[in-house]
Amino acid sequence: MAPPEVFSLSQQTPVTCHAFNADRTQLAVSLNSSDVLIYAREGNDWKHIDTLSEHDKPVTSIDWAPQSNRIVTSAQDRNAYVWQQTPDPQTGHTVWKPTLVLLRINRAATYVRWSPNEDKFAVASGARAIAICSFDPEGDWWVSRLLKKPIRSTVLSVDWHPNNVLLAAGGVDMKARVFSAYIKDVDKRPGPSVWGEKLPFNTICGEYASPAGGWVHDVAFSPSGDVLAFASHDSSISVVYPGGPAVHVIKLSILPLVTLAWTTEESIVAAGHDCQPLVFAGNQGGWEIIGSLDDPHANKASGGSRSGFGGASPVGRLNSAAFNTFRNAAERGISNVPGSPTASSSNESELFTIHQNTITSVRPYDGVPGNVTRVSTSGVDGKLVVWDVNAVTPIGATGLAGKLGKMQLR
Amino acid sequence: MDVSFRKIDIDQYDEDALLVTELYEADPRDPAQALNDVKQKAAAVRSSLAKGDIVAALMLVLEDAPYGPHLDDAKVASLCANLHLQTLVSILNSTKSSEIPGVVKALSTDAQDTLMKYLYKGMALPGWGDVSGSVLLGWHEKLTEVAGTGCIVRAMTDRRLV
Amino acid sequence: MSNVLRPYLSAVRSTLTAALTLEDFSSQVVERHNKPEVEVGASKEVLLNPLIISRNENERVLIEPSINSIRLSIKIKQADEIERILCHKFTRFMMQRAESFIVLRRKPVKGYDISFLITNHQTDTMLKHKIVDFIIQFMEEVDKEISEMKLSLNARARVVAESYLAAFNV
Repeated sequence: MAPPEVFSLSQQTPVTCHAFNADRTQLAVSLNSSDVLIYAREGNDWKHIDTLSEHDKPVTSIDWAPQSNRIVTSAQDRNAYVWQQTPDPQTGHTVWKPTLVLLRINRAATYVRWSPNEDKFAVASGARAIAICSFDPEGDWWVSRLLKKPIRSTVLSVDWHPNNVLLAAGGVDMKARVFSAYIKDVDKRPGPSVWGEKLPFNTICGEYASPAGGWVHDVAFSPSGDVLAFASHDSSISVVYPGGPAVHVIKLSILPLVTLAWTTEESIVAAGHDCQPLVFAGNQGGWEIIGSLDDPHANKASGGSRSGFGGASPVGRLNSAAFNTFRNAAERGISNVPGSPTASSSNESELFTIHQNTITSVRPYDGVPGNVTRVSTSGVDGKLVVWDVNAVTPIGATGLAGKLGKMQLR
Repeated sequence: MDVSFRKIDIDQYDEDALLVTELYEADPRDPAQALNDVKQKAAAVRSSLAKGDIVAALMLVLEDAPYGPHLDDAKVASLCANLHLQTLVSILNSTKSSEIPGVVKALSTDAQDTLMKYLYKGMALPGWGDVSGSVLLGWHEKLTEVAGTGCIVRAMTDRRLV
Repeated sequence: MSNVLRPYLSAVRSTLTAALTLEDFSSQVVERHNKPEVEVGASKEVLLNPLIISRNENERVLIEPSINSIRLSIKIKQADEIERILCHKFTRFMMQRAESFIVLRRKPVKGYDISFLITNHQTDTMLKHKIVDFIIQFMEEVDKEISEMKLSLNARARVVAESYLAAFNV
């Protein structure tokens, strides 16, 4: 079992989102700002090589198309840009050149994903719409068509079906939906699937409510595209078999999960506010949680020496803990107020998990769709971690409540 | 200059905005029928309690609990919800604190979620009926130990208020 | 900590932990704004059910969660007139200096004595469990602080009364 590789990209700013290029030698992240930073792998560390600045509000999502090597970014300034590497006419160096996308939305863009064929991308937004963008060679720009009905609120995430036509979306209106994003000039007519046969634009192929009224944070199609999974804020994961029709709901005893990724047709890695990636497995017969990729107890015992390399060496972690203690003491004005606690009264400043705060994104890192062997996670604590999906620490369904419950209520 | 127009909530005319009533599916039963159900359950609970079977009594109360404000008949609905809460509290009060963990473990996840909602509802009404804060807090602690924070999160997210 | 207080605080702690599951959320009502939704209250779907944890009629905590912020309001125990005055002065003192507490709100929610507003920016930069610890410890200490102030106030009143009456005790 390979230990997870841990990289600290920043000490205190969250990593909003991350995306790797095709061969995983470069990495695009946004550190909760309006800039997108490009890092290149250098040995066991990541070196900052480029900054893409065009947005003027925090970037919300990044996706890097593996074949065409284009980056698409979305931000709260209501815009999306497609970045392409072109030689600079003056210097001859290759630079990332932005192209504005005509989104026609008037609220924040929240999430963006390239379609599997990389000829379209979908931008979720707070304008109660999803923009499906395709390239218009005549105008030399990206144009969009909006999926509007029946979305009633901010869309938080989207995911493409492998057939390049269907799109799943989940949002604050507590529903996960499957739409057709068929665009006549771009797509071939798709064959019939479990989601339906005739699929003109904006056909709703499925609508699923979260089990106890939670916002749908993330949606994902299985590698075959025949199954849909979504994570919602009521601490549950739902797996939908549209042919069934069966919806398997796993209600968890821990804090909500906000992101998920399929590793094989029968397993999912999901992570969220509990700071550790959890593994779920199942099939049409039923789903259950089988374990965690992180092992809080092992981390505790070895005091962080298990961490990989890069910025997260034991020394680095120690510094960060001390740093945090001082920063927290300063930020909360703890010492000079009667009736307020002192910083020394509780000595636990670190969680036992590798991520120290909410994990906001989990994406496949290594392997092909249907057999992903490693996943990468990034979180609010500024860390990027690459996990071996087979290194699962088993936790029984009953053990989880007690174990994580204690961790939370410590 | 007349500035009263500034106080008009223009967002209410936004057709796309979600309304509170659209956030959940209303209780399919009509209020009178729900009230009837609640009364019948109260009687059944009393007989279960007499036998000392707390788990059965709790299961009875937590299954198909009436929820949501009925817009057409709010008075009956609130009467119904309060009566149901009273039935539940009578069970909680008659349970020994040492028995609570066992009882909570015996409940299904759905029942645990509903119980959590009732505990918060009970705490929101201090000095109402024979609800006692310390009893509810005791149950809350035990329930959280068994069902975890996920259960509390669901009490927050679920709009089907009891 | 007394045994009576413990379940109360642990209930607040677990509820607060569950509520502090925040994320960045840009307003869907006003363009290019990013505001604590619990304060704006314009979109019902991003607000969650408010929860109340109470020990008795006079001591309770209200937690109002939403997608990117939570508001926590505390009603502090006030047994008599002196405690009421002290509590008012004490919370006012702190709320006037709210910016140095970061999570403190300048005005309490109606019906409560002091309110905190925690947004996703704070949970991003601070450690979540430390924020919870801070609130819990505040609740623990505030009662103690007020009863101590009451004692010293009474002691001072006694001294004043004694020295005043001493003038007549020739």
